[in-house]
Amino acid sequence: MNPALSALVIHDIKNALALLEIDLEQLNHRPDMPSEAYQAYQRCIELKSRLINFLTLYRHEQSALRPNLHEVVVKEFLADLIAASQSVLMSSRQGHHVAVRIASERISIAPAVKRKGCAHFDEYLLDMALESALNNALRYAKQQVEIWFEQQPGKLCWYIADDGPGVTMATERKQRSAAAPSANTGLGLALCQAVAEIHGGGTVSVQNATTQGALFRLALHVPE
Amino acid sequence: MGEDTRDLSALLTGTKPAIENEYIRFDKLSALVIDDIGAMRHAIRSQLQALGMNQVSVTNNADEALRIVTVKSFDLILCDYNLNHASSGQHFLEHLRSEKLLSARTIFIMVTAEAEYAYVANAVEYSPDDYILKPCPEKKLRARLERQFDRRAFLMPVIDALEAKRYARAITESDRLIALQPDERWLMQTLRLKAEAQLALHDTGALFATYQQALQIRDDAPWVTMGIARAHFMARDMDAATRIAKELIAQHPNYVAAYELLAQIKTKQGDDSAALELLQASAQILPSAKRYRAISESAFLLGQLDEAKLQSEKAIRLSTGSMVERSDDYLALAQIQTDQGDARGAINTLEKNARKYVETGSFGIAKNAILAQAYYDVGATDKAKKLVERAQRLVTPQTDSAALTSLGKAAIKNGNLILGLEVMTRAIEASGAERQRVARHVTKAMQDTGQAAKIAEVIDAGQRRIMILVDEAARLMRSAHFEDAYQKVLAALAIHDENIEALLAAAQLHLLWMKQDSMNDAIVARAKGYLATLDKLVPNNERVMGFYRFFNELTGT
Repeated sequence: MNPALSALVIHDIKNALALLEIDLEQLNHRPDMPSEAYQAYQRCIELKSRLINFLTLYRHEQSALRPNLHEVVVKEFLADLIAASQSVLMSSRQGHHVAVRIASERISIAPAVKRKGCAHFDEYLLDMALESALNNALRYAKQQVEIWFEQQPGKLCWYIADDGPGVTMATERKQRSAAAPSANTGLGLALCQAVAEIHGGGTVSVQNATTQGALFRLALHVPE
Repeated sequence: MGEDTRDLSALLTGTKPAIENEYIRFDKLSALVIDDIGAMRHAIRSQLQALGMNQVSVTNNADEALRIVTVKSFDLILCDYNLNHASSGQHFLEHLRSEKLLSARTIFIMVTAEAEYAYVANAVEYSPDDYILKPCPEKKLRARLERQFDRRAFLMPVIDALEAKRYARAITESDRLIALQPDERWLMQTLRLKAEAQLALHDTGALFATYQQALQIRDDAPWVTMGIARAHFMARDMDAATRIAKELIAQHPNYVAAYELLAQIKTKQGDDSAALELLQASAQILPSAKRYRAISESAFLLGQLDEAKLQSEKAIRLSTGSMVERSDDYLALAQIQTDQGDARGAINTLEKNARKYVETGSFGIAKNAILAQAYYDVGATDKAKKLVERAQRLVTPQTDSAALTSLGKAAIKNGNLILGLEVMTRAIEASGAERQRVARHVTKAMQDTGQAAKIAEVIDAGQRRIMILVDEAARLMRSAHFEDAYQKVLAALAIHDENIEALLAAAQLHLLWMKQDSMNDAIVARAKGYLATLDKLVPNNERVMGFYRFFNELTGT
């Protein structure tokens, strides 16, 4: 198939999925909505975000992904990320009560940072990357997920910690989760890696936290 | 007041709840959704309704949207970038902002697909308040809207004062907000509005101080640098204005406003060719019918008819079928064609391409007058004469300068020098705020028709008749003969009711009258009327602003 046509078809599918998501979202506002409708909504969101993640990664592999760097107020970005997170919404609806909190006490900004609390990055790509990491953390967390950042000159590190089983037997999470049918951790980590790369290089890691659970870290280079 | 303070402190400390928001009453807000895809339009409307907005209007194109926003103001406009029409979302936004159709209280959000996002997000000027990548889940939409409405709520006292043209109040309100030490972004926005008020008052000294304050917070905000360049231009320091505008272009090669300011400077300095080049550069960056028109006019006045024709055709092509379509474009093109010696082309333009426009008012006069020139050129002199007469019959006191200039040219060409010179004189009289521009058109028309020797006379005479009356009125008002002065002013306005000098005299007279005659209602009402007309014709004029201050003092508002 001609690549231009494939691109058109896949975008068409993506948009159709997005409209379906909005339809289901509206359906869920009804008081008499059956639980199946909610499940359908949830599946639709997961499918759409997986497709978008995949497309983004694909574009990265074709060297066609470029960041739109804009100045972002980091705390606002973080608050919006959580307020609008589909994963957070889903987990609260599943009766599995995991609290997601911004760990304000762990946020640190180095004195040498010129514009404190502001950084240049592509907020949509970062939102996508962190959302997938958050989704993963929520899947394993027992009670709580914490998220925070550290800002240094030219560098912005994001952290997401959960209180789940952690990374066992020195394996990466992507292996651990390969069996889970709806999980797309591998895709998620690859996406985070891609987002770090197009921001001029950065690192992504998942390791055991010092106490318990897993600690996700995404370090981004950001222009001063 | 107590409640306000509480809201404000919650706002400032960021302690508002992340999801539920108490002080944004979505049910009180109105929105307009513009998207050419029905499903998307309805999806966004449903999302807004789910947020509690019950006044949501939708439309599928920018032209309809323009009609809607001119009769109703909205709290929120959500506009799709790719409208699949003659006007994109960016064109629409540019048109709204440049024509000042968008109130500061309206939040304009551009909705874009990924592929267009880079272009939209990198627009330095005419940038929307925010942009969202579609499709946007409801929670994300809510989070973005809350941020925007928070900001608006904070700035509202200043926005209110600006809209009421109470600039002094806008400045004190800005200072009050600045004293609350909001976060950096809100502070910058407050300073931006404060600068807007100071700009309106032509207070360049205070304006520089505001920009300096903004520079200390951010030294890389293009609007601050642009503002400083404009302030220098206003203070007539052309060298400084030029230097800063050039620096700005070096940093932001796509900053169209900087090119346009440089073009203005060049025009002021009499270097029309340089101004033309700058306009050409600006249209290449951000093409619009308005820019093509400006280039075409500038090239026409410089005698570069091929370029003028090319740009005029571009303006027509770009605007046909869109909200910025104008019948005048065909007049300009036909005049260029006539001057090029392509009389047949001009006739074709007016009789075929422009036949959809009704032949009334200034358009009808100019159309007949240009046709008269073209028919004269092809040897149909009888028809040409009839057309001149027809155009002449349509002239009223409201006829605009462009139409009168066309008629003058047609009359002279057809051998009626007396009528020609009289009409050219009237074109100058009717020129109002556009005096310099009209004078250039009249000059060119007279040069083209071999009347260069009479240019000075015509330009002086047009202004002179009004100026004599204005001078007499000024003398009479100084000796407190207000009623007599009023008659002189009325006589001047009868020659042309939008003459700026006459209107300024009328406003000044009524203010002095108010001061003497302890606020007679009729006089107050007339004063208000003259000020409003002036404000429309010459927005932010220094003298008019001074009159407004005086008026407010007298009426205690």
